[in-house]
Amino acid sequence: MSRPSGKTDLLQGTLDLLILQVVSLGSLHGYAIAQRLNQISKEALEVNQGSLYPALYRLEKRGWLRSEWRIADSGRDAKFYSLTRAGSKRLEIERTEWSRISQAIALVLKTVS
Amino acid sequence: MRDDELDKELQFHLDERIADLMGKGMTEDEARRRARLELGGVMQVKEAIRDHSLRWLIAELWQDGTYAMRTFWRQPGFALVSILTLTLGIGANTAIFSVVNAVVLRPLKTPNADTLVRFITTTGVSTSIAGAQSFDMWRQQSKVFENVSAHRLEYVNLTEGAEPEQVPVARVSAEFFRLFRASVLNGRTFDASEDRPGGPLVAVLSHALWARRFQSDPAVLGRRLSLGNVPYVIVGILDSGFDTEQFDAQPDVWVPFQLDLHRIDGGNLFTVTGRLTPGTTRAAANAQLAVAVAAARRDAPGRLSARTVWTVEPLRDAMIGSIRPSLNLLVVAVGLLLLIACANVSNLLLVRADVRAREIAIRAALGAARSRIFRQLLTESLILSLVGGALGLVTGTIGVRILLATYPGNNPFRLGDTTAAIPRIGANAAVGIDWRVFAFALAASVVTGVILGVLPALYASRVDLVGPMKRAGGSPGRRTKARAMLVVTEVALAVMLVVGAALLIRTSLALRAVDAGFDAHNVVTMRTSITATRFETRAGIAQLTRDAVNEIRAVPGVLSATATCCMPLETVWQLPFVVSGRPPETLTRAGNLAYTGFAGWTFVAPNYFEVLKIPIVRGRGITDSDTADGRSVVVINEEMARRFFPTSDPLNNQLIVGKGMRPEYDQEPPRQIVGIVGNIRDTGLTRPARPAMYVPVAQEPDGVTALNVRLLPIVWMARTATRPLAAAPSIEKALQRASGLPVTRIRSMEEIVAESTARSRFDMWLMSIFGGSALLLAAIGVYGLITYSVQQRTVEIGIRMALGASKNSVGMMVLRHGMTLAGLGIIIGIAAAFALARVLAGFLFGVAPRDPAVFVSVPAILAVVAFAAVWFPARRATRLDPIAALRQE
Repeated sequence: MSRPSGKTDLLQGTLDLLILQVVSLGSLHGYAIAQRLNQISKEALEVNQGSLYPALYRLEKRGWLRSEWRIADSGRDAKFYSLTRAGSKRLEIERTEWSRISQAIALVLKTVS
Repeated sequence: MRDDELDKELQFHLDERIADLMGKGMTEDEARRRARLELGGVMQVKEAIRDHSLRWLIAELWQDGTYAMRTFWRQPGFALVSILTLTLGIGANTAIFSVVNAVVLRPLKTPNADTLVRFITTTGVSTSIAGAQSFDMWRQQSKVFENVSAHRLEYVNLTEGAEPEQVPVARVSAEFFRLFRASVLNGRTFDASEDRPGGPLVAVLSHALWARRFQSDPAVLGRRLSLGNVPYVIVGILDSGFDTEQFDAQPDVWVPFQLDLHRIDGGNLFTVTGRLTPGTTRAAANAQLAVAVAAARRDAPGRLSARTVWTVEPLRDAMIGSIRPSLNLLVVAVGLLLLIACANVSNLLLVRADVRAREIAIRAALGAARSRIFRQLLTESLILSLVGGALGLVTGTIGVRILLATYPGNNPFRLGDTTAAIPRIGANAAVGIDWRVFAFALAASVVTGVILGVLPALYASRVDLVGPMKRAGGSPGRRTKARAMLVVTEVALAVMLVVGAALLIRTSLALRAVDAGFDAHNVVTMRTSITATRFETRAGIAQLTRDAVNEIRAVPGVLSATATCCMPLETVWQLPFVVSGRPPETLTRAGNLAYTGFAGWTFVAPNYFEVLKIPIVRGRGITDSDTADGRSVVVINEEMARRFFPTSDPLNNQLIVGKGMRPEYDQEPPRQIVGIVGNIRDTGLTRPARPAMYVPVAQEPDGVTALNVRLLPIVWMARTATRPLAAAPSIEKALQRASGLPVTRIRSMEEIVAESTARSRFDMWLMSIFGGSALLLAAIGVYGLITYSVQQRTVEIGIRMALGASKNSVGMMVLRHGMTLAGLGIIIGIAAAFALARVLAGFLFGVAPRDPAVFVSVPAILAVVAFAAVWFPARRATRLDPIAALRQE
C-alpha cells in the first residue's frame, strides 16, 4: 500500500525506521522509546518529542505498531507499543532500502572528494 | 476516547521526564519547565496528531477510491452492468421524486401559505364548489377565519382595439388580493364597497396582459376595458410573478365578484379559500363549521341536506388531492424497482468476491484489518452507486420532461374541480431539479450503495487464513444461498410489478373499448365566449346559433353542424324536475324538496344528435322548428325513461324543470317530451350514464341564458367527411364571420375523449415501463446466477459426464435448478400480489383487482422469460467437454 505523501517525507521516514527498530527489540512506551533512541545513538540523536507522538500514531494507524495499556515500572499506566508482523516486514524493507541509499550516497561522496 | 488516551499518554511522558530531570538534580519547578519546553506544548502535539488523523482519513478514502477505480478498469463489463442497472433504479426513483417534489413538497408560491385553507362541502361526495349561502355562513365565522374569498375563472372576449381575443378573467372577492398577498405595481385593487351586486365595473390587469396588450403604458389607469362588450374601468395593475396557483390558466383580468346572496341557484358557483386566524388550528375551525352547518340547517330547513358537512383543508392538500393516489402508487412501484436493481448488483458483487478471494486473502495476510477490507469493499459499492446515481439524476430529469411533455395539458374549461392535468405542474411546466431532488438523488445513491454493498463486503472480508491460502469470503455454501435468495426475491418483486402493470393495461384497454354512447370520430369542436349583452336573451343566442351553424354547414367537408352549452365529458349541468301531473309525494331518494328527480340538463341546437351519432330511439330529436314561439319541448335519454317512466309512455308526458331553483325558472312552462335518445357517458367514461334532458337553445329561459353566458362558452361541433382537424381552419373562419367572436380551443372530439382518460393512461405507461424494467432485470439476475453456477460446477458436471450422464440430463439438471429458483420467486410474488391487489382497486376500471386472466398470464410470462434466461447456460453446460472440465481442477 502506498502511503500519503507529505513534505517531511524523508525525515518522517527516517524517524519511522528508527522507531520501528527500537521497538523491534521489545515493547516500550513512548517515553522509553525516546530515551532509548537517545541512549543508543550515544546522545547524537535527540528526537523532537513533538514529532515522536504523531509518528507513533501514524505507525499504529498503518498497522506496523500495536499498542496496549500496561503498568510501567513506575507503577503507573502507560501505553506500550510493539511491532506487528506487518511492521517487522516493513522494518526489513526499510532497512534494506536505507542501506541501499546510504551506499549510493557514499559512492557519490567518494567520487566528489 | 482518543483524546483522553492521548492526554494520559502525554502526561505520563511529562511525569517521567520530570522525574528523570529531578533525578539529575533539578528542582521540581525547573524540571517541570524544562520538560514542558521539550515536549513542545501539548496542544501542538494534539494538533499535529489530529491533523494527521484527518489527512489520514482522507488519504485512506482516496486510496480506497483509486483502488476501486483500478479494479473496475480491469473488469469494465462488471462495472458497466452495475452502473447501468443502478442508473435505471436510481434514475426512475429520482424521476418520480421530482414529480412528487413539484406537486406535493414544494411550498405554495404564496407567502405564509400554511394557514391558507380551502372550504369543502361534503354531501356523500366532497367538492370544493360552493354556493352563495354557504359562502355567507363561512364569512360569518370570523373568530376562526380572518379572510374568506370566493373566486372563479371565466372566459370573456376583450372586444376593443386591434383584435378581439378571449382571455381568462378571474372573478374574485375584494379580499382575495390580501388573502394571497398580491403586490400591486400601479393603482389599487378593489374596495369592499365595490364588491356588491350592482357595484361599479372596475378591473385590475395582470402584468402580462398590461405588457402584451397595452405595451406597459403607465397611463392605462382610468382607461376603459371592454369585456364582453361591457366597459370596465381599469383601476390597477398587478406585479409580475403574482401566481396564486388557484387557476388552471393565469388570469389576465381581475374583476370583483359582486355576489348576489339572494340567488339560490346552481348558477352562482365558485371556489372558496380563506385564512385561519392566528393560533386557530384546523380542528378548531372544523368544529366551528360543524356548529355553523347545524345552525344553517335549523334556520333554513330543507335547504341543506342532513348529511352535509363543512370542513376546511390545507390549501395545498386540496389542490393536489386528486393525484395523490397515483403518486403513491408510482412511489411504491419505483421503490420495488430499485430493490430489484440492488439485488442484481449485490449478486454481481458476491460473485466478484469469489473471484477476488485470493487478492483479499493476501491483503489480510499482509496485515490489513478486516474492518479496513470491509470499508474498502463498501467504498467500491458506494462509488458504483454514486456514479449510477449521478447518471440516474440526469436521465431521470430528462425522462420526466419527456413524459410530461406527452401528457395532455390543461383543460381550463372544466367546471368541476378535477382536471386531467397534473396539479401545480400544468401544461408547460418544467419540473426542475431543485435542492430537494438533488439531495434525494444523493441520499438514494448512498443508501443504495450501503444496502447492496453490505452483504458482499461482509462475506468477502471474512478471511480464512488457516487453510491453504486460496479461500477468502467465508464458506461458499453461505454465499451461494445468499445469491439464490437474492434472485428469488428479485423474481418475486418483478412478478408484483408486472401484475400491477397488467391490471392497469387491462384498465386502459377497457376504457378504450367503452361505448361512450356517441361517435367521437371525425368531429371537430371549438368554442366562443358569449359574454355580451346581446347574448343575454335567448333570442340573441338562437340567432347566433342559427347563423353560425348555417355558415359552418356551408364549409366543404362538413357533413353536419350543431352547437351546445355543454359538451359531453367536459361540462355537466343538472337540474331538478317534476313530471307534470304526478303527485309531488312520489319522492325518489334524490331530492329533499318536492322534486321527482335530478337529471342532466343540456341546451342543444338542432342536429346535435346527428352530429354525435347518438341514436334516436323513439320520437324525434331537436329540429329547426323548435323555436321560441313553438311548443316547449324536451328530449330525454333512455336512462331517464327507464327510471322515471317504467310503466307509462314518456312521450305522453310533460316535465317541469328547475322549479324553485331560481325565479327565472318559475316562468318555465311544462315541456313536452318529444323524443327518447340513447344514453351517453357524459360525466366520464368510467361512470354509467345518468338521466338526461336536452332542451333547444332557442327555448332556454331568458334569465338562465343571462347567467349561463358568464360561465359557459358555446361549443360548436361539426362532423366532417375526413380528418376533423383538416377542416378546422375553414370552419373557424366561417364561425368568426358569422359571430364576430374570437374562436378558441379547437380540438377534435377524439382528443377530448382521450384527455378524459389521460390520468389513467399516464399511470399505465409508467407502471408498464417499471414492470418491463423489472422483468428485464430479473431475467438478467436469473441468467447471471445460473451462468455462474454452471461455471462453479464445471468440475462436477465433468465428473457426471465422465461417469456416463448424458448431455441432456446435465442440461436438465441446470434447467431444473434455474426453474426451481424462478418458480419459487414466482409463487411468492403471485401470493404477495394476490394479497395486495386490493390496493389497486381505485385505479381499475372494467377489471377486478384479482382478475384471473392476469393472475394466470403473469406467472406464465415470467416462467417463459425465466426459461429463456436459464436455457442459454443450460445449453452451455451440455456443450462442456468433460476432459477439459476435469482438468480445470
